[in-house]
Amino acid sequence: METHALPGARFVDPKVLARIKDLELLARNVVDGLINGLHRAPYFGASIDFAEHRGYVPGDDIRRVDWKVYARTDRYYVKQYEADTNANLAVLLDVSKSMGFASDEVSKLQYASFLAASLAYLSHRQRDRVGIVTFDSDVVTHVPPSAKHFNVLLHTLDRSRAERPGRLLAMLDKLAEHFRRRSIIVLISDLYENPADLIEALKPYRSLGNDLIVFHILDPAEIEFPYSESSRFQDLESGEEVPVVPEVFADQYRQMMREHIEALTTRCAESRIDYLQLTTRQPLDEALVHYLGNRERLMRVR
Amino acid sequence: MSFLAPLFFAGLAAVAIPILVHLIQRERKNIVLFPSLMFIRRIPYQSVERRRIHNWLLLLMRVGAMALLIAAFARPFLRLDPVRAAGALSGAREVVILLDRSASMGYADHWTNAQQEARKIVGTLAGEDRATLVLFGMGIEESVRATGDRSRLEAAIGSAAVTSDGTRYAPALRLAQSLLSRSALPRKEAYLISDFQKTGWERQEEIHLPEGAELRALSVATLESSNLAVTSVKFQRASFSGEERVMVTAALTNRSADPVKNLPVKLEIDGRLIDTRNVTIGPNASGAVTFPAVTVAAPMRASVRAGSDALARDNEFHFVMTPSRPVSVLIIQAEGAAANTSLYLTTALAIGTAPPFKADVLSPSRVTPANFEKRSLVILNDSSALSTQTSDALTRFVTQGGGLFIALGDRLPWNGTELPLLPGAPSAPVDRLVGGGGTLGFLDHSHPIFDEFKDPRNGNFSNVRFFKYRGLTPAPTDKVLARYDDGAAAMVERAVGSGRVIAFTSTLDDSWNDFPKRHLFLPLLHETARYLAQYAEPDAWYTVGRMLDVSVPIAAIVREGGAGDTQSAARRPSGVVMAPSGAQTTVGEGGVQAVELTEQGFYSVRLQGLGERRPFQVAVNLDPAESDLTPLPPAEFVATATGRAAVTATGQSLENPELTPEDIEKKQGIWWYLFAAGAALLLAESVLANRLSKRFGFGLS
Repeated sequence: METHALPGARFVDPKVLARIKDLELLARNVVDGLINGLHRAPYFGASIDFAEHRGYVPGDDIRRVDWKVYARTDRYYVKQYEADTNANLAVLLDVSKSMGFASDEVSKLQYASFLAASLAYLSHRQRDRVGIVTFDSDVVTHVPPSAKHFNVLLHTLDRSRAERPGRLLAMLDKLAEHFRRRSIIVLISDLYENPADLIEALKPYRSLGNDLIVFHILDPAEIEFPYSESSRFQDLESGEEVPVVPEVFADQYRQMMREHIEALTTRCAESRIDYLQLTTRQPLDEALVHYLGNRERLMRVR
Repeated sequence: MSFLAPLFFAGLAAVAIPILVHLIQRERKNIVLFPSLMFIRRIPYQSVERRRIHNWLLLLMRVGAMALLIAAFARPFLRLDPVRAAGALSGAREVVILLDRSASMGYADHWTNAQQEARKIVGTLAGEDRATLVLFGMGIEESVRATGDRSRLEAAIGSAAVTSDGTRYAPALRLAQSLLSRSALPRKEAYLISDFQKTGWERQEEIHLPEGAELRALSVATLESSNLAVTSVKFQRASFSGEERVMVTAALTNRSADPVKNLPVKLEIDGRLIDTRNVTIGPNASGAVTFPAVTVAAPMRASVRAGSDALARDNEFHFVMTPSRPVSVLIIQAEGAAANTSLYLTTALAIGTAPPFKADVLSPSRVTPANFEKRSLVILNDSSALSTQTSDALTRFVTQGGGLFIALGDRLPWNGTELPLLPGAPSAPVDRLVGGGGTLGFLDHSHPIFDEFKDPRNGNFSNVRFFKYRGLTPAPTDKVLARYDDGAAAMVERAVGSGRVIAFTSTLDDSWNDFPKRHLFLPLLHETARYLAQYAEPDAWYTVGRMLDVSVPIAAIVREGGAGDTQSAARRPSGVVMAPSGAQTTVGEGGVQAVELTEQGFYSVRLQGLGERRPFQVAVNLDPAESDLTPLPPAEFVATATGRAAVTATGQSLENPELTPEDIEKKQGIWWYLFAAGAALLLAESVLANRLSKRFGFGLS
């Protein structure tokens, strides 16, 4: 029997999830299964976790005065909690044609959809506003973040198809203007762009005070390059063909891919962008845990 | 390895097809959809080793199958090298190398090739192997005897040279037979390296090699040879102003498929060019060229030369032009005989030209022993009894080689019963007047004097009438040459010493017969005189290989007066024979009696006791058979010589060079095996390709 690092992780196996057509059910399975296994509740929200006391200033809600502290100190202190306000979760989902690639049962787009749905469900459970933008060479769908848009988001994910070539950098530039309010922006893409250019494109999001999490979705075949026969490789997006003899080529390719991921990891770290590379074979729990950790850290900061 | 249809090898280009398929086609066939070629594009195209063979076994099988099929279509066949095949086997060998060095081997590069073949055989010697090198032509020479010393053998091969000798295979093969029979080594092989001239082999000469011995024939013959040869000369003699003029006609043979046009043919006498005539001869034909007459007063060395070709030796022909000498005849007739007793006889002899006769008529009383000197023939024409001294001189004359013709009439040349020279016992004359006379009922046509009359068209003696003849009873040792129709002897021969005697039992005038009036009288008389005088025109040339008995030509010269009074020298000649190469041989007293003529050119014979006389010249030419290069198929030769099929050491039949390549290819049928192997390989390839295809899920190429 397959074992997983986390209890309940069998519910987040992408192959199993692929058989669930209902994205909400899927997301619930993933998230609940995962959360139930955790030792402490990861939910953030109003008046759940105490953060600190501060001096009462006129205008503060009198209900938030800590009377026990007043009794001991005879001064007014107001209790300040984490998750002061619910955040916006904006998912930027790349639906370019390359995301349709699948060497196994699950395509990158499917995996990205599971991931987006799970994140949205998680956020929706803690009353964050969730929105989504799907794009390829242009914006395909734009669902602004809202507490009521969870179902719309799922519906959008369900309808998304990898049909057209993408222009990631151009679309990132274009979409940066839409996120005026601080949000948790989750970018899900295969990131076939120059890391330096990509970071440059992501910088505006950071400068606007958004928290940016980049999920780099790759098919295992894109990393391992398991091909052995000489073939002509066709670019899914451009249709360009190149003759390839994998025996010798594979090592160079793998090396380049490794360097690409390392460059992204390094540069994202430098720019304080959360970056996680995932393959469609990996269970979603890792992504969710990563997200939760990030979200927790985000709340603590405030 | 040769091929019947080598053009099929152009099809080897098809071998590139599987290779190209392996290299190119498979890349075009499989298209892999990939998310992004971002990294793939970065790898320089040239550095991608795209032309890599993925399945060597499959490729080799395909290329192999293709190559085998093409080789099968090219129809290969093997020309086996019997020398190497034999050398490859194990076991000590007794090898006899028979190397033909006859004159014909001088044709083009035959001799060089033959030496190479011989060296190849020597090269195969190893361990305990022994070889004997035998050089042969008409005769044989054991050059190196049974040795394993390869350097000695090779040196002997290198120093051997073509001679002027003719070709005879039988003696060489018999020597090989003898050598191999005596050998105790387990393997016995004889190699005959020759141009296999047909003329050198008599088919009835079967050789019996010892059991297990093998004869291998290595031919250096050229199938399409061309050779022009001067084969002989003829003389036409004529007297002019007391001198003898001789017209020389040379016969030439063109053994070639191409005609010879305007070939200059030269006549040289004593080293001086006399005349040049151009001749044109058709392919495989003979021609003649006649030179203007030259005066011949003394023996002269002459040569006819006709251009030069691959076999230059037979393009020249040497001969000695000798003035003819008349046969001196002494006719002895009875004292007081009728005037016409010797009329027919002298008249008939006077008109002889070949040879001319010089006749003197004397009566027995006037004959002295000196009269017999310088004579070749004495005719007793119904002679009366000779004196004892004359008879003794006559007997001596005959014994020493002179000729005697006795015509018996009414008289007998001897009285009493001791008649040593008369072949038989005489009796009384027989009268055949009744009944129209007798005729000749039997002639011994095997005898030289009747040889000319073998053919009935040349004369019919039955018309000659004999009315009277003397009875003669031959002794058992005498030979009856002709008989009358009643069985009585007409002509009887007896050999006395070196001389010859013929008795004719009738007269040489028309008193007892009508023979002198018949046209057959003249030729029969000439033939008889020539026979009795032992006349032979001096050989204008000899052929290489003949023995020259020095006494024969010298005796003829002396008898005919050419040597003056040096009779003793003629009877016991001794001297020196100098070959064209300068080699000298002592002959006669204290030396050999005869010399073998082995070189082409002029031999000089200088005899002691002949004063300052010019040396006797002997011209020697190649055996005309050497000019005929028509080869005998080696396999056929071996088969006829040994009575067994020619085989190689590997047991395969020796290829017959006259077999066409088609025949050899058909016989060997190698193509079938190649085709079967190619088909089997294709089948195996199909099985393997299917398995690989299943394993990798898609078609491999």
